[in-house]
Amino acid sequence: MELHELNALSPLRAFDESLGGGLGKGNLGVLVSRHGIGKTACLVQLATDKLFHNEHIVHISFSGNVEHVINWYKEVFRQIAADKPLKDASAIYNEILANRVVMNFSQENISIEKVLGSLETLIRQGSFNADAVMFDGYKLTVASEEDVRKIKQFALDMRLEVWFSVSPVRSNVEFDENGVPSTIYKYEDLIDALIGLKYNEEIDKVVMTLVRHEGISDPKPMRVTLDPKTMMIST
Amino acid sequence: MSDITKMRNIGISAHIDSGKTTLSERILFYSNRIHAIHEVRGRDGVGATMDSMELERERGITIASAATNVKWKGYSVNVIDTPGHVDFTIEVERSLRVLDGAILVLCSVGGVQSQSITVDRQMKRYNVPRIAFVNKCDRTGANPYRVKNQLVEKLGLNAVLMQIPIGLEEHLEGVVDLVKMQAVYFDGPSGETLRYEEIPQELVAEANAKREELLDTVSMVSDELMEAMLEESVTEELINKAVREATIGLKLVPVFMGSAYRNKGIQPLLDGVVSFLPNPSEVTNKALDLDNNEESVILKADGELPTVILGFKLEDGKYGQLTYIRIYQGSLKRGDELINTRTRKKLKVGRLVRMHADSMEDINEAYCGDIAALFGVDCASGDTFCHPSLNYSLTSMYVPRPVISLALNPVDKKSSDNMAKALNRFTKEDPTFTTYVDPESNQTIIQGMGELHLEVYVERMRREYKADVETDRPEVAYREAISQRADFNYTHRKQTGGSGQFARIAGYIEPLLATEEDKDYEFVNLVKGGVIPTDFIPSCDKGFQIALQKGTQLGFPIVGVRAVVNDGSFHPVDSSDQAFQTAALSAFREVYEQANPIILEPIMKVVVEGPTEFQGNIFGSINQRRGIIVSSTEDGNTSIIEAEVPLSEMFGYSTHLRSLTQGKAEYTMELAKYNRVPTSIAEELRKNYQEKRKAR
Repeated sequence: MELHELNALSPLRAFDESLGGGLGKGNLGVLVSRHGIGKTACLVQLATDKLFHNEHIVHISFSGNVEHVINWYKEVFRQIAADKPLKDASAIYNEILANRVVMNFSQENISIEKVLGSLETLIRQGSFNADAVMFDGYKLTVASEEDVRKIKQFALDMRLEVWFSVSPVRSNVEFDENGVPSTIYKYEDLIDALIGLKYNEEIDKVVMTLVRHEGISDPKPMRVTLDPKTMMIST
Repeated sequence: MSDITKMRNIGISAHIDSGKTTLSERILFYSNRIHAIHEVRGRDGVGATMDSMELERERGITIASAATNVKWKGYSVNVIDTPGHVDFTIEVERSLRVLDGAILVLCSVGGVQSQSITVDRQMKRYNVPRIAFVNKCDRTGANPYRVKNQLVEKLGLNAVLMQIPIGLEEHLEGVVDLVKMQAVYFDGPSGETLRYEEIPQELVAEANAKREELLDTVSMVSDELMEAMLEESVTEELINKAVREATIGLKLVPVFMGSAYRNKGIQPLLDGVVSFLPNPSEVTNKALDLDNNEESVILKADGELPTVILGFKLEDGKYGQLTYIRIYQGSLKRGDELINTRTRKKLKVGRLVRMHADSMEDINEAYCGDIAALFGVDCASGDTFCHPSLNYSLTSMYVPRPVISLALNPVDKKSSDNMAKALNRFTKEDPTFTTYVDPESNQTIIQGMGELHLEVYVERMRREYKADVETDRPEVAYREAISQRADFNYTHRKQTGGSGQFARIAGYIEPLLATEEDKDYEFVNLVKGGVIPTDFIPSCDKGFQIALQKGTQLGFPIVGVRAVVNDGSFHPVDSSDQAFQTAALSAFREVYEQANPIILEPIMKVVVEGPTEFQGNIFGSINQRRGIIVSSTEDGNTSIIEAEVPLSEMFGYSTHLRSLTQGKAEYTMELAKYNRVPTSIAEELRKNYQEKRKAR
């Protein structure tokens, strides 16, 4: 099938719908859960969907291994293209890669100024017109409020949609029934969409709950879930 | 010396400037192969012994891999020096093919750099077990612990420290052996005397902690050690055995450290080589049986079996023509008869030698697993030699396609003759270096893997062969391809008195899918009912192949084409091989335009490494060159930027990069893939080609 047909059928349409048509530029979205639930996979799928819409993405990781992130994209693309036979898949893959940059910061405790500085360098001097930034594994729960404000301001100034995948740093954190740790609530005013991921044994799916959206904390289950084996989003 | 368990074939692989040549030099010195130490960029004007070529000496780098044999504590170790520069990747890969193990040399300050990543990837491809040596621990900023962590994080290796340093930077005194739990110092003017002492008081806690780490790491991959730990019966022998098995099984990389320049840590490294790297019988090697459908056969490291030998390296030095060989099976004596399975030519083994970097030793016999050299054998590198009863070929080595070409203009007749001699030699030595004469311009064209690759050969022509040549601007090796199916139905008919020619073929050409991109061409015969007699089918195939050699857009080869023949007709008298060949050739040329031809260009994977402050300039420079930034990694003050850039935009990049970054950034590049040239640029290229043709 053609790319636009695939896009129309994508489970990400339901995801966007839950957010009233998507997160939108200048806004911060957060995916939060325990370790190993599939946040990175989720983030990569959000990014891939944007790439399919010809948007430019910066994926920021703190792992020290770029190859790992790149393999995630490869794997997600492979699964999508296998699921819905995409015409000219390899040509499309090559094309979208041109619109994705992976930035990796391997230094421990790197300051947010440095990260945003490098991002701005890429956007301005590298002439990379980023539409969205994915912060993969950013330690949001221990970041200072000042740092989060800076990111928010940056998102507004540079017209960026910003997504975070977050796991709590400390192991003794309490999680609520939606998979959200208590440590995240201190920034809730700065977050435009907070999504909790939690494994539900009965249906053998990772369920997604929109815990807070546009300043209102009224948890609503989203229409999409994650398959715990393939880590793929489906409706 | 026929005990195969006491034999090692090792390589030394490293980033440029990590001190590899100095290390090789020290290994030769301690094993009594040489009697004085020379520095790489030596003041004594002699230069390190492993750098056998004058040019290498001048540039301070090692280009050709010389094999040299050393003895260490009763072991026979063949050291194959491998080049560090990525443009010479084929040399590295060819060396890796004959190695059983390797030392990965890293700089204690620079750590794992982009080239270390490339080299490590190559070692992974050939499943080469390796030990690491963190060199230059005497340098300011030395941190072997950080380098070990980088081996784990950046290369994904299960690296484990076998030693810790005693002092660092200018205070480097020696190392603590974490297996023996002893301090080792290197006394004497050249560090030749080892002194073992108790671990200095201030390092005891650190040593205990790191030994614990060593045991934990190794026991994760060794059940035997795990059990011994539970029973608290760990012995030195047991640790060494477990480390050896895990290293050979590619599950562990033991890390050694020191400073070759300061003569510290080399002897323990050599102990590590013989203790932990495999002997030739512990490595599985395969060959293809050419008499049995290229069925893969496992070679046995047995001296009694028929001989199988790989000629992995040719050298034309002051001693004449040398072929470096590795014996995979059987043994070799002077006077033995062998067969070159590529040419089917027989040869008799004349002089057999063992090579030292710049001298040699005559031997009468070489054994299974060994590396030696033959004199005066006419062959190309990569040829297999077998006992006449066998017809094996050692697996073909992966040879990348050339991406760049350069026209040569010899200044006079003498230079022209010398150039021909030099080219004949170089093309035999290096499969990634090819040459041909352009029939239109009558110029000699050389092709290779990068600007520097070709520059080095041009330099060698001047120095070693006295061939004075001028060069044109280097040119990118484009490819042509088709983007859609086109049907043909072509009749070739010629009646010029005497016997005529007749052939008609019909079918179509279509692009091969991207998944088949390794294939350049496929011929499919769907002819039914003998409308084209079977005898003429190969001629059709041949005709297409001739057509593909040179496209009409830019004059470059056409790739990725499937030619299908499904109909045709013949004449009982006038049809011939020639007629069908011509018909296929003409049929292709006729429909090429209808198949919507496109131009492909080589895209290089470029890795730039430099201080973070210049990141913006580096991003900008890639953007200017139609490049795509794939990723950037920041670690402290260093940034590594990986990008994909068309080769045609990379000319002069090293100069540009140097000026942008005050000489503080460096880059490597290798072929990533071929991509379609953007339409506007393709138009430009076609226009230029047509104008050039008209001008002639």
